[in-house]
Amino acid sequence: MLKVENITKYYGDFLAVDHLSFEVKKGEIFGLLGVNGAGKTTTFRMIIGLLEASSGTITLNNHPIDYTLTDKIGFLTEERSLLTKLTVYEQAIYYGVLKGMKKETIEKKLDEYLQKFHISEYKNRKIKELSKGNQQKIQFITAILNDPELLILDEPFSGLDPLNVQLFMDVIKELKKKGTSIIFSSHRMEHVEMFCEKLVVLVKGKSVLEGNLKDIKKAYRKKNIHIISESLDLQKLEKVPGVIGVEKNESEIIVKIESQENAKDVFLFVKQYDDVTKFVVEDATLNEIFMEKVGVFYEN
Amino acid sequence: MKTKLKFLIGQSLKKKTDTKWFKIANILIFILLIAVLNMDRLISFFGGDFQNTVNVYIVDDANAYDLFKNNFDTMASSLEDLGNYKVEKSSKSIEQLKENLKEEDEIIVHIKPSLNNFIEVDTYSFDPLDMLTLQVLQSSLNNVKSTLVIKNSNMSEEEIAALTSNVDIHTTVTNPKLDENAEGKDILSSGLILVFIIPFFLLITMLTQMIGAEINDEKSTRGMEIIISNVSPKIHFLSKIISATLFVLVQAGLLIFDVIVAFMIRKMLGNSFISSDVSGFIGDTLAMIKNTGVLHLLLQGLPIILLLFLFSFLTYAIVAGVLASMTTNIEDYQQLQTPLMIILMVGYYIAIMASTFQGSLFIKIVAYIPMLSFLIAPVIYLLGQITIWELLLSTILCGVVCYLFFYFGLRIYKVGILNYSSRNLWKKIFKSMKEK
Repeated sequence: MLKVENITKYYGDFLAVDHLSFEVKKGEIFGLLGVNGAGKTTTFRMIIGLLEASSGTITLNNHPIDYTLTDKIGFLTEERSLLTKLTVYEQAIYYGVLKGMKKETIEKKLDEYLQKFHISEYKNRKIKELSKGNQQKIQFITAILNDPELLILDEPFSGLDPLNVQLFMDVIKELKKKGTSIIFSSHRMEHVEMFCEKLVVLVKGKSVLEGNLKDIKKAYRKKNIHIISESLDLQKLEKVPGVIGVEKNESEIIVKIESQENAKDVFLFVKQYDDVTKFVVEDATLNEIFMEKVGVFYEN
Repeated sequence: MKTKLKFLIGQSLKKKTDTKWFKIANILIFILLIAVLNMDRLISFFGGDFQNTVNVYIVDDANAYDLFKNNFDTMASSLEDLGNYKVEKSSKSIEQLKENLKEEDEIIVHIKPSLNNFIEVDTYSFDPLDMLTLQVLQSSLNNVKSTLVIKNSNMSEEEIAALTSNVDIHTTVTNPKLDENAEGKDILSSGLILVFIIPFFLLITMLTQMIGAEINDEKSTRGMEIIISNVSPKIHFLSKIISATLFVLVQAGLLIFDVIVAFMIRKMLGNSFISSDVSGFIGDTLAMIKNTGVLHLLLQGLPIILLLFLFSFLTYAIVAGVLASMTTNIEDYQQLQTPLMIILMVGYYIAIMASTFQGSLFIKIVAYIPMLSFLIAPVIYLLGQITIWELLLSTILCGVVCYLFFYFGLRIYKVGILNYSSRNLWKKIFKSMKEK
C-alpha cells in the first residue's frame, strides 16, 4: 500500500526528515509520533505531494504519488484548513469536486456524515459561525468524503470533547474495516495506543523507535504493577529489589519495576498484607516509552 | 484536471460575483452613472436660484443705457440657463431703489460719467454679486466704454467695425506627412481618449486587489494545503488568473451596459437647456471621432487593442498572484501592491503627455513596455503616431512577457503559496526561480 523508503528532507541546511522508512498496509492504522518540530507534518506534506523529498521515494500501490493518485487520499491538517466564508455544504462541494467526486455523491455522503456527527442542522451555516469542535468535525468529514484509500490524520482530536473523540474513533475504526490505510499523528499517547498497530517515533526527523505497538511494549522491559491496598507500607515497597518508583493516586498504587522478573519480589512483599484486592502486572504505557525514548535525545 | 480547473474558475468567479456586496456596488455604480450622465437634468429638475430672473435696474447718468443693454443681453443669452437677467432702465433715484432692495434677485447699476475713465459704475445688491453676474457686468461695461471711446474719436461705422473684429489668420502647412485632422486628434487625445483609459486603470486596480485577497484568504486558513494536495499549483494559479480576468471583463461589460442605459435615459428625457449643449458636445465629439479618422483607426486596430488589453490584464493578474503567494497576510500584500499601482500611474501620465509631446521617441519606446503599453500604445496609435504594425508588435511583446511572467512566476507561486513565513523570503524566491 503506502511505502515510504529512505526519505530525507532538507530546508536549506536544516535536516527536517532523516532517512525515514515505513510501510502502511491496507486497513492498517499507523502512528507517526514525535514532539513538535520532529518532522511529522513535513512527512505528511511529502506523502501528499505538497513537498518534494530531497531524496528517497514514496509510493502508493507501487506508484509514485502524483495528482492522479491524490484523489484517493484524505488529508486532515493539524491547523484548520477550511474556507471559513463558505457554508458547510459549499465547503464539502469545493473539496469533494477537487477530489474528483460528483456533486450528487458528495451531497449524499455529506448528509450521511452530518447525521452521524449530529450536525445536520449546520449544513447551510457558514463555517466561521461554527464552534471549534464542529469545525473540526467538518474538516474531518471533508477529509473522508471520498472514501480514501489512504487517510492522513494530523492531530485529529484537537478541540474535541471526550464524547466527540469517541465518535471520531468509531468512524476511524469503520474506515479501517472498509480497508482504508490510516496514518495518524497525535500528542495524546492514549489515543495512539487505542488504535495504532504500528508506529514510528521521530526525534529531529529521525526514527528512534518503530515497529508493532505490541512488540514495542513487550520489548520494553519496564513494567507497571497496579495494586489496591490501604495498609501497604510504601516506603518499604520502594526498597524492594527492582522497584524504580511508587506512585499513589486516589484509587490505586502504581509500582514501576525494572522488568517482569521483579514482579515476583513485589508480589512476595505485597502478600504480607491482607487487604490487597488488586495486583495486576501491565506493560508500560506508550506515554512512558515515548517519554523515555524521546527524552534521552533532548537530555543529550 | 480540466474539470477541476473549470470548477475552480467557476467557484472563484462565483465567490466574487455572487455576493450581496458585488450586487450592491453595481446597483450603486448603475445609479451613480445614470446620475452623472444626466446631472444637468437632475439640477434642472430640482431647480434653484440659478433659474430665477435677476432684475438689473440701470440708473443711467452717462447716456450709455442702450449700449449697455445690447452688450449685456448678448452676453447673458450665451449663458443659457446658467443665468437669466432682465435689464430695465429706471427713472427712480438710487435712494428710492435702495429702499426697495430687499430681494436677492435685484441689482442696481448706476452708470456715471467719469472725466478720466469715460464711465464709472456703482452697484447695489442685497447679497454680494455672484462671480458669473460680476463677469457679465464687467465685460458689458468694458465693451460700453470701448464703444464710447471709439465714438469719441470720430471714426466711421466701418472703421469701428473693422477695429473691433478679429484678424483673420489663414494657415498653410507644407508638411505632406501631417494629418489634416491633427487638431481634432489633439482634442480627442487630451480629453476623450483619456476618459476611456480611466476605467481600465480602475479595473486593473480591482483585478490586483481581488486576486491578492483571494489567495491570502486561502493561505491564511491553510485551505491552500488541501487545495494544492488535489490540484497542481499550475492549475490553481491559472484558475486565479483566469477568474480574476473574467471578473474584470464582466465588470467592464456591466460598466458599458450602465453607460448605454444612462445615455438611453438621457435620450428619452429629451433636451434641456444645458443638455442641448451636452448633446451637442457628444454629437460634435462623435463627429470628430469620425472626421479625424480615429474611428477608422479604432475599427481597424480594435482586435489588436482588445488583445493588448487582455494580455495586460493577464500580466497584471500573474504579477498580483505571484506577489500574493509570497505574502502571508493581506496587509503585506497591500504594501507590495503599491509599486504595481505606481507602474499604472506612470502609464497613465505618459498617455496624457502623448498629445503634448507628439512624436516623442521616449513615449514610443515606452509604448512597447508591457504593463504600460496598454495605456499608451492605443492612444498614440489613434493619434497616428504609430502604425498598426507597431501596435501589433507592442501586443506581441506584451503576450510574450505575459507568458514569461507565467512561466517564471509559477515557480515562485509553487513555493510561495505553501510558505507561511517571511523569514528568508527573498532567498526562497530567488531559489525557486532556478527550480523547475
